[in-house]
Amino acid sequence: MYFEPNEDMTALLSGLEQIALGEGTEWEPSGDWSRQVWSHTLDRTLDENGYYDAGAEESLGAIAAAAMIWRLSRLSVNIEAAASAMLRPALGEDLPRPIAVMTDRRGGAVRFLPMAKAVLRIDDDGVHAALLSDGDVRELPTINAYPMGEIVNDALEWRRLDADAGRIRDLWRIAVAAELAGAMRGGLDAVIAHVKDREQFGRPLGAFQGVQHRLAMASARLEPTYWLTLKAAQELDSADAAIALGYTASISTQIVYDLHQFMGAMGLTLEHPLHRWTYRLRHLRSELGGASTNLQLAADRLWRNA
Amino acid sequence: MDFDWSDDNRRYRARVRHFLEQELPAEWPEIARHGPGSKEQTEFSLDFCPKLAEAGFLVPHWPEALGGANGTAWEHLILGEEMWAVGEPRGGQYMNVNWIGPTLMRYGSEAQKDRYLPPMAAGKAIWCQGFSEPNAGSDLASLRTRAERDGDHYVINGTKIWTSYASLAETCFLLVRTGPLSAGKSAIAILLVPMDTPGIEVRAIPSLVGHGDIHEVFFTDVRVPVSTRLGEEGQAWEIINYSLTNERVGIPRYAMSSRVLGHIVADLKRQDRFNDGVVRMRAGEAAAACEAARLLVYRLVDMRARGQTPGPDASLARVATVAADNAVLDFALDFLPEFTTGNVYPEYLAHHERAIVAGIASGATEIQLNLIAQRHLELPRGPR
Ligand SMILES: Cc1cc2nc3c(=O)[nH]c(=O)nc-3n(C[C@H](O)[C@H](O)[C@H](O)COP(=O)(O)OP(=O)(O)OC[C@H]3O[C@@H](n4cnc5c(N)ncnc54)[C@H](O)[C@@H]3O)c2cc1C
Repeated sequence: MYFEPNEDMTALLSGLEQIALGEGTEWEPSGDWSRQVWSHTLDRTLDENGYYDAGAEESLGAIAAAAMIWRLSRLSVNIEAAASAMLRPALGEDLPRPIAVMTDRRGGAVRFLPMAKAVLRIDDDGVHAALLSDGDVRELPTINAYPMGEIVNDALEWRRLDADAGRIRDLWRIAVAAELAGAMRGGLDAVIAHVKDREQFGRPLGAFQGVQHRLAMASARLEPTYWLTLKAAQELDSADAAIALGYTASISTQIVYDLHQFMGAMGLTLEHPLHRWTYRLRHLRSELGGASTNLQLAADRLWRNA
Repeated sequence: MDFDWSDDNRRYRARVRHFLEQELPAEWPEIARHGPGSKEQTEFSLDFCPKLAEAGFLVPHWPEALGGANGTAWEHLILGEEMWAVGEPRGGQYMNVNWIGPTLMRYGSEAQKDRYLPPMAAGKAIWCQGFSEPNAGSDLASLRTRAERDGDHYVINGTKIWTSYASLAETCFLLVRTGPLSAGKSAIAILLVPMDTPGIEVRAIPSLVGHGDIHEVFFTDVRVPVSTRLGEEGQAWEIINYSLTNERVGIPRYAMSSRVLGHIVADLKRQDRFNDGVVRMRAGEAAAACEAARLLVYRLVDMRARGQTPGPDASLARVATVAADNAVLDFALDFLPEFTTGNVYPEYLAHHERAIVAGIASGATEIQLNLIAQRHLELPRGPR
C-alpha cells in the first residue's frame, strides 16, 4: 500500500492545478443567466497540452485520468473531460472531441451532445462510435447545468469499436464517480466558505453546531469517494468500479440537500455558483442506473458470481 | 378517533375537484411548470381567482360579512389540498386568503379592512411579503429597513430581498424598524405599503426557481401616511406570529407531492421500470413520507377545528412536509431523471421547483429543528 502518486502523476496533477487556477476557470455569472458555462479557454489549454491523452501513458493510465476528472469537476465551469480523459485513451481511437456518451437505460437526452463532435454508445451490443455533424443533434431545454441534446439523425453511421463493453462501462463508472465526487467537493468548498462568512444571530452560520455536524458529516462521507475512485481506476476491478459509483451517487442526495440548505436563498440564485455543481450532481447521480443499480451490482460482483 | 372523512367533507372535496376539472385550462400544466411563485402563475391567478371567488371557493373560511361562508377548518384544508394537488392555481393569492386577510381582520383598522379585504375576497389582489433583508434572513429580528416618523408620515429607507411576487404586487406587507437595532423585535412595525409609491424600485433576481419569482426591493425616502401602519409600533412580532401560524397550517404541499408521486409511478409502470424491487421500495418510502406529513398536518387542523392553538406541532408538520417534498423529488431524480430535460413533464418540473425551495422559503428547516429541540423536546437553549 502506498497512497502517494508516482512522479509522473504528481507532475501531471501539479500542472493541472496551475491550469485549474488559471484563466477561464473562475466563477462568473453568464451574461444571459444561462445555467451552464462552457469554458473554451480551459478546454483548449487542456487539449493543447495533451492532458486528455494522459490516460494512454503507461506511467499514468486510468488512475491519473480519474484524478484529473475529479479536479476539473471541482470547478464551477463546464468542460467535457470525463469521456475524453478516461474513455478515449482506453479505446485507442483518435475520436474528435468533445465526446458525448450514451449508455443503456437513459432517456433520449444526453449531456454534451449539442457541442459534441463524436458520440459513444455503450450497451449490450458493445461499444459503438459515430461522428456528429450539423443537424445530427437537437439541443433540448433543460434545468441541468449541462447542455443536453438528442440525436435526430436516424441514419447516423455507427461504427463498432474493438473494445470490451464491460471494461469500458467500468471505466465510465469510474469517470462518473470522479465527476460526482469532484462536483460535491466543489459545492462543499463553496458552502464552507459561505458559512464562515455569513452571519446570522450575531455569529457566523458555521458556528452553529447543527450546521457544523452536517457539514462535518458531508465531509466525512465525501472523503472516501476520492480514494474509492482512484482505487477502482488503479485495480480496474468491476466490483470496485460499482462500489465507487454506487457509494458516491448514494451520498450525493443528502449532500446536495445540505449544501442548498446552508446556502439559504442565495444558493437558489444564478448570481452564486452553487447551482453549477448541484445541477450537475442532480443529473450525474442517476447516470448508469445511479446508486441502487450500482450497489446491487457491487453485491452481485462480490458474492453472487463468486 | 376516526380517520375517515365525513360525507359532508367528501362532497365538498368532490365539488372542488369538479370545479378545477371544469375550469383549469388545457395550457395550465405549461403555466404551472414554473411553480407557484412564478410570474406566469401570478398573472394566471388574476384570471382564475375571480372565478374561484364567484364559485365560493376562494375565501369560504372567511366570515360571511366579508364574502366568506364561515367554512370549517377541514373545508379550508380540503380546499388547500386540492389547490396544491393541481399546482396551486391561486399563485401568490394563497397568502391573501390564508394569512394576510385573516391578519387584517384581526389587527386592521376599519379603513384598512374596507380598502383591502374586498379585492382579496374577489381574487383581484396581489400582495408581497417584505420581511427578509440581505442581512436578516433566519435572524429576521435583526432587520434594518427604517421607517422614520415625519409628522403624520413615515419615511422608509432600506432593502428587502427574496420578495416573491414583488413585480406584480400592488401592496407590500412590510416589516420596518421604528426604533434602534438594539431594541430587537420590540422596535418593529408593519406597514401596508402601496408598491406604486415613489421611491420603490423592484429588481428581479435571476434564479433557479420560477421566472421572476424572487426580487430585491429598494426603498429610498419612501413616504407613506401613518395610517398605513397595521397595529401599533412594536406590535409587529405578535402580529406576524399570528400570521405565520396561519401560513404554516395553510400549505398542504404534500398533496402535490403525493399526486406527483402517483404520476411518476404510472410513468415508470408504462415504461416497464416498476418491476425492480428497489424502485418499488423507494416509491413506498416516498409514499410513506407523504402520508406522514399529511397526518401531522391533519393533527394541526384537528387542533384548530377544536379551538386549540398548535404549538411546536406546527414545526414538526413543516419538517415532515419538507421531507415528503424531497422524498418524491429524490425518487424522481433517481428513477425518472429524464424529467429534467425537454418539456414532456411540466408537472414534475413544478414539483421540482417547489421541493428545492421547500426547506428555505418561509423559514429554513434548521430553524424549525431548533424550535422542535427547544419547545417540543424542551432541551436547554443553546446559542441560536
Ligand atoms: C423561493 C423563495 C421565496 C421567498 N419569498 C420571500 C418573500 O416573499 N418575502 C420574504 O420576506 N422572504 C422570502 N424568502 C426568504 C426566506 O424567508 C429566507 O430565505 C429564509 O428565511 C432564510 O434566510 P436566508 O436565505 O437569508 O438564509 P440564512 O439566514 O443565511 O441561513 C442559511 C442557512 O443557515 C442555516 N441556519 C441559519 N441559522 C441557523 C441556526 N440558528 N441554527 C442552525 N442552522 C441555521 C439554515 O440551514 C439556513 O437555511 C424567500 C425565499 C425563497 C427561497
